[in-house]
Amino acid sequence: MNKKKFILFPLLAFLLSSCLFDTDDEGLSNWLSDQGMPSNYKVQTVTVSDLKPVSAEVLQNTDPVDAWGQGFFGASFGMTHDIVFDFALDSAFLARAKSADSSRAILFLYLVDSYYKSKSLPSNVLPVRDDLKLNVSWVISDKLSDSEYEDLEDLSDSVWLQELKSWKTKKSADTTISVSIGKKDTLLLTLELPKALSNDVRKYSGNRRLQLRLSTPEASHVFRVYGPGSVQYFPRFRLVALKNDTTYNYVSYIPTRAASISKNQEKCSDCIVLHGGAYDSLIVEFPSKPILNALSDFYGDEFPYTKGDSNDVRQAVVMAQMTFYRDDSKGESELGLPIQVLAGSFLDSADEVVCRRENYKLDKPRILESGHPNMVFYEGDSVSLQVTAGMRDFINKASDGRSFKMMMRLGLPVLLDKDTVFYSRIDESSGDTVRVTFPHFDYARYDFTSIKNKSANLKLWLASKRGEKKKQKIVVKSESKSSVATDNARGEK
Amino acid sequence: MKKFISVLLCASCFSFASMIAPDAIGEEQIAGGSAAMAGRGFAGNAKTGDIEGVSVVNPARQAFDTKVVLNLNFLLGVSTVTRSNVDFTKTSISMPSMNLSFPMGDFGTIGVSLWQHYASSIREDVEDENENWFAEIEYQSSIYELVPTYAIRLPFFRAVSLGASAHFVMGSFNRNLTLGPDNSGIDSADVWATNNTNLSDHVNGDWEIKNHSAYYTFAVQYRGRMASYFFSFTTPYTLSNELNYNFRFSETDTLAPTRYTREIKVPAMLATGVNYRLNKRHNVMVDVAWRAWDRDIENASGSWNMAQVTKTQNDFNVSIGYQRDGSDVFYESYWDRMAYRAGLWYKNWYVEDVSEIGGSIGVGFPLGRRGTMLDLAIQGGVRLTDDDHNWNESFIGIRLGLVGVGSWGKTRGQ
Repeated sequence: MNKKKFILFPLLAFLLSSCLFDTDDEGLSNWLSDQGMPSNYKVQTVTVSDLKPVSAEVLQNTDPVDAWGQGFFGASFGMTHDIVFDFALDSAFLARAKSADSSRAILFLYLVDSYYKSKSLPSNVLPVRDDLKLNVSWVISDKLSDSEYEDLEDLSDSVWLQELKSWKTKKSADTTISVSIGKKDTLLLTLELPKALSNDVRKYSGNRRLQLRLSTPEASHVFRVYGPGSVQYFPRFRLVALKNDTTYNYVSYIPTRAASISKNQEKCSDCIVLHGGAYDSLIVEFPSKPILNALSDFYGDEFPYTKGDSNDVRQAVVMAQMTFYRDDSKGESELGLPIQVLAGSFLDSADEVVCRRENYKLDKPRILESGHPNMVFYEGDSVSLQVTAGMRDFINKASDGRSFKMMMRLGLPVLLDKDTVFYSRIDESSGDTVRVTFPHFDYARYDFTSIKNKSANLKLWLASKRGEKKKQKIVVKSESKSSVATDNARGEK
Repeated sequence: MKKFISVLLCASCFSFASMIAPDAIGEEQIAGGSAAMAGRGFAGNAKTGDIEGVSVVNPARQAFDTKVVLNLNFLLGVSTVTRSNVDFTKTSISMPSMNLSFPMGDFGTIGVSLWQHYASSIREDVEDENENWFAEIEYQSSIYELVPTYAIRLPFFRAVSLGASAHFVMGSFNRNLTLGPDNSGIDSADVWATNNTNLSDHVNGDWEIKNHSAYYTFAVQYRGRMASYFFSFTTPYTLSNELNYNFRFSETDTLAPTRYTREIKVPAMLATGVNYRLNKRHNVMVDVAWRAWDRDIENASGSWNMAQVTKTQNDFNVSIGYQRDGSDVFYESYWDRMAYRAGLWYKNWYVEDVSEIGGSIGVGFPLGRRGTMLDLAIQGGVRLTDDDHNWNESFIGIRLGLVGVGSWGKTRGQ
């Protein structure tokens, strides 16, 4: 007999039976019900009003940031921003410069066209006309051997960024430069650096390292410029050697690395101020008791959960939204656009507490009617931030006495405040890019001091696996003894 | 070997068809679930022969084997669960066991079995927008046993053999109930928050024996000229299942689970059976196995309105079967060389008020000269229940068993 038939017959029978008998939704739903399981989870909402934070503080990150691709310098609301370049100067040209009668140093910087030429840039930003009071400081290294000179390019940028924290100016000079940036102007910034710099450089021979820092604390603008990583528009430091004022030669040095360094200039020590573009984080901590009490009142159970290993999995937070009062009048922005507030929460991850950015789910009907709820510099007097992951973690592990901590940060300016897709995309009909947010930070200042005085509201969307309240007996049959326990002996897990 | 284990584990992903007591330990695969045994109604643990192979109920039997036997079993099952004119059907495929026995002449016979003793496997979903239903239920529980066996015929009473086996328990329990939101209780302005938020009530954990590495079966077998008997005793043991209870929003987005260990006391089992040879190749056989459950089984439960225990009863299995052995003369007709089997069984489940009545027919197709066989069994029956949770079931199934035979250590003349 053909062996294949032995396999074929049962398989055919099996497939036939699979086709004949189809699963019935009602049947399965009823079966689930008889097992004590539902066919969906019931969503419930709980609102915790008048939540007052136990603390609210701004953590400022003023560490130097890499400006390899793009950097910035100038001044914004309550902040100043310096830019530092790292150059490797070779011995050949320094020797020539030394023998020259005089010298000049010019720094060419290219402004970021995606900002200054953007169609989305509000019309009030340009032109920028400024007599820029520029403070130039520099550090020139000792003589470098050829190998040390070549190794400069291989220096770790992160090490250099760390070193910049303890920048010690050796020499500096001031100058004033007229800057004009219009809509139709070239995006080249030509900075004639002080004579003191070029004269100082000429004093040295051999291979040298030059670190150059530009500060403009009184600037009216933050200048966005390309960094050395740009393919076309990298900065150039031109050192010109002049002989008899008639002949000259020059060399243009490209920085091996660059960094921007921001400094907080806020005067008010009690104010809670967030700065855009500067990675300021506002950490707000709420007490656990009001939240847990509200849950206890709602469910009639004890919170925090302390049975077994005390990890509470009796319910799940489907959504959590914290709403704060806001007053935009104390804030200032460059672009005049609404700015999205990013939210994060502190939660457990691999046995340590981390601050994790929260996802943002779109409330489309509300957005269409009154815009995104998580923006400042916008209509209304509140900002609502979603903290779902953090609240899940908090309720899950509340037994260890933790409080709920969240983080707020100014994000990107919003161009389409009522867009319900909320990511930049290509418009299929026109082929144009639809930008939801402006692609550059607004170096804005936002005063959140009201958070300390005005209470917040927390709204929770919850799913619970609590069953109906009924006593169920567990009867343990045994020859010698029997025991009876209620359904609360183990509770929901 | 790795490939084989992979295939085995893949097959085990789709397991037994019954939907009774999945939250306890699921369906028991009696007598190792071999196709040959199933063909004769799960009777015949007392039947001896050259290539009967490992019996997990009667480890003494294999002492009478003369050839190396490798046996792989597959089950294709369909069951329909019914209550109050509402029903639904599920299908499954599983590999209940694989067995290898190795006779060593006067030194006895060693064997090993990988037996999926208890399992529950359900993967069903319900979706009805009108009723606002969305649920996916998945059970994957499998209690495997790795069973090394040894049997030897007594030196002076060659008709009697003694056997013993150790059952090393392993496996896992996994229950995942994924649910969609029911927004009927909240304001319409709040519904947006539940878009794409299916939640999973997830429970998983491993099986092992508490305080011991294994439980044991001891058996004695008598092979007479016409009648053969066996008697076996299986020790009681406590199953330990450490469970993690969690709520999952996705595979990577979960809560910190809470842990709980449930313990299930499985009582000792007594089993006996007789095989009577009517004439040269016709056999009738009866087997009985019995266990007295004195404690309810704690369910995984832990949520919703699920029962916390499965009430138990004394479980027993009575099987009666017939087998006409195939001729081992290769030159006889193929039909004559085939084995024919039929059987009936009645099983009282360990679950209170659940009983099973089944019948089966089977054939063994010889493949080649060496005695290699393909066993086919078709089974069907009903499982009757009378409680709030479990539904009546009717089931049909096809079992396939591959029996590979070798004569290692023997010369051509032997």
